[in-house]
Amino acid sequence: MALLSSPLGAPVRAVAKIRASVHVKLLAGFLLITLLFIAMTAVSLRTFAETARETNLLDQAHERVGWSRQIEHALAMQMHFTSMTLLSQGSDPVSLILRENNRFNDTLARLEIAAPAEERALIQAIRGAQDDAMATVADIANAVRDKRLAEAMTVLRTRQEPVYQKIETLVGSLVAAEETRMAKFRASLAATHRQSMRLMAGFAVASVVLALVGGFVISWSFILPVRAAHGFLSDVAAGRFGGTLVVPNRDEFGALAEHMTWMSRELRRLDDEQRVAAATLRGLNDRLALASRAKSEFLANMSHELRTPLNAILGFTEIILDELYGEVPANLREPLVDIQTNGRHLLSLINDVLDLSKIEAGRLELGVGEYSVQEIVEVVHASLRSLAIEKGLAFSVRVAPGIPTAWGDGRRLTQCLLNLAGNALKFTRHGRVDIDVSLADDWLTFRVVDTGIGIPKDEVENIFAEFRQVDTTITREYGGTGLGLSITKRLVELHGGRIGVESELGRGSTFFFTVPLRADGGPA
Amino acid sequence: MKDRTVLHIEDNEYNRKIVRQLLSRTTYRLLEAADGEEGLAVAKRELPDLILMDVQLPKLSGLDATRLLRADPRTASIPLVVVTSFALSGDDRKAMDAGASAYLAKPYSPRDLMALIHRFLPEN
Ligand SMILES: Nc1ncnc2c1ncn2[C@@H]1O[C@H](COP(=O)(O)OP(=O)(O)OP(=O)(O)O)[C@@H](O)[C@H]1O
Ligand SMILES: [Mg+2]
Repeated sequence: MALLSSPLGAPVRAVAKIRASVHVKLLAGFLLITLLFIAMTAVSLRTFAETARETNLLDQAHERVGWSRQIEHALAMQMHFTSMTLLSQGSDPVSLILRENNRFNDTLARLEIAAPAEERALIQAIRGAQDDAMATVADIANAVRDKRLAEAMTVLRTRQEPVYQKIETLVGSLVAAEETRMAKFRASLAATHRQSMRLMAGFAVASVVLALVGGFVISWSFILPVRAAHGFLSDVAAGRFGGTLVVPNRDEFGALAEHMTWMSRELRRLDDEQRVAAATLRGLNDRLALASRAKSEFLANMSHELRTPLNAILGFTEIILDELYGEVPANLREPLVDIQTNGRHLLSLINDVLDLSKIEAGRLELGVGEYSVQEIVEVVHASLRSLAIEKGLAFSVRVAPGIPTAWGDGRRLTQCLLNLAGNALKFTRHGRVDIDVSLADDWLTFRVVDTGIGIPKDEVENIFAEFRQVDTTITREYGGTGLGLSITKRLVELHGGRIGVESELGRGSTFFFTVPLRADGGPA
Repeated sequence: MKDRTVLHIEDNEYNRKIVRQLLSRTTYRLLEAADGEEGLAVAKRELPDLILMDVQLPKLSGLDATRLLRADPRTASIPLVVVTSFALSGDDRKAMDAGASAYLAKPYSPRDLMALIHRFLPEN
């Protein structure tokens, strides 16, 4: 089964089995990936906020360190100016000291506001020490003013310097504390940074893997049924109907597979039905062929059965007329000739009907052989001359010189020409009937021209059909069943030829047929 | 000289009657048979000088009887005229193939039949 050959078979089948439309499955896949990205964004935003906060703290600590350094600087300046007071013994340095003191205090106040709680005590201590230092400065200044230089010197050395040193120590520890804090912040910031990097990388990898797996699974859950359908349809195209298309999908593909299975079953059913029908038809055909054979056997028998009594009728009539039974009384001769005429007519009818049935059944075969066109024309002329004389019609035949011996069924062609010439004489009251045979490009054309009653335009097409007669009054006068032309047409066609007529009502007709000089006699 | 013998094999009584009437005025001796088997038996027993054989006969068809007669050396060379149904139906060819000396299409003119008999068997 194709499904087992898919990578990630189990999840693919699981996705295929989900009872949801393809649309929903695709949307769900995209939504999953989108959610992953949203989560990733949220986490990164949080990390950014954290980093910003820590950076801020670091900045603050940095600022405080700066301030502490300013304090140190101010202190150094104070000490410097204090020494200057002693050296210059003027009041100028005092104001400078005060200025530095103010700066010291300002900075310290700012520091105090910004400092974390645990540094407050330290700052207080610094302030106290500074106050002490300022008190000593005042004492020194007073001593200098009063010219008590020695005392001032002592104060400076014994009180001022230790105070400055204390302040220096305190500020130093403040700076150290801040620096420690800064180091801590820096470390934490680095940690946060690393963590966020790891998180981002994790998310990125997870999204890529999830997107790949999701895309893979979903697409394979669509590809597999399509592949299965492809194989299934190849089977159907090859005529193997009735199979079942199995797919795990419960989505549109599942529905499609069900429809295809149904279609294939339906095709199988139709195919079976059609096979049965074909077999029935074959059986029917066989039976028809049998029936047709039976029919032609019946016709052959019938032909003989009809001819046997007719043979007796015509035979007796002839030998009576030939006076084999003694002299025939004059008054009996005419009715005996009537019997003979009608018997012969009946015979020609039987011949026509049997001929036509045979042609109809496709049983008539041409007896091909050599024949002489001249001979055919002479036979026809000889058998119809008496009728022409009787009707007072001119009757001539003409065969183009140099026509070689032809190949075909001479007797059948005689029958054809006899039919046409017989018709011409039958349907002509005054004038003439002419037979003419010519050869062109190895095709023989037999032509019968008469000056008879002609054929109405709308009837010309019909006269070659069986039992078709234009005017039945002539038929009553001369007899005929309307089979002559249709038999002639079929015989000509069996030779591979063609029959035709040109006629003008009241002026006459020209019937003609063409056959190959050498006809092989295969069925046309 | 012994009179020439003609065997007429034909199941229809009236047609036999016609030939009987035709030959009554001649010196030919006429033998008759009404079906194929009888015709075959008479032919082998009497060894006639000419056989007129209808193509369609009870018990044994005229064509089969012709073939059997041709297969027997005693009767193989007897002139044999087959009376066919219809000259155009192919019977004539079948008759010649079976070994007939000539064929005559039914209905025949008694005059033509006499001419044929005279051709194969001149009267004494
Ligand atoms: N030469 C002709 N002149 C005028 N009409 C003709 C001529 N030949 C045939 N027809 C018309 O065509 C019809 C069909 O001719 P066809 O030979 O088939 O039949 P038929 O002569 O009436 O009977 P059958 O030939 O069977 O004895 C005729 O009845 C006649 O109306
Ligand atoms: Mg006709």
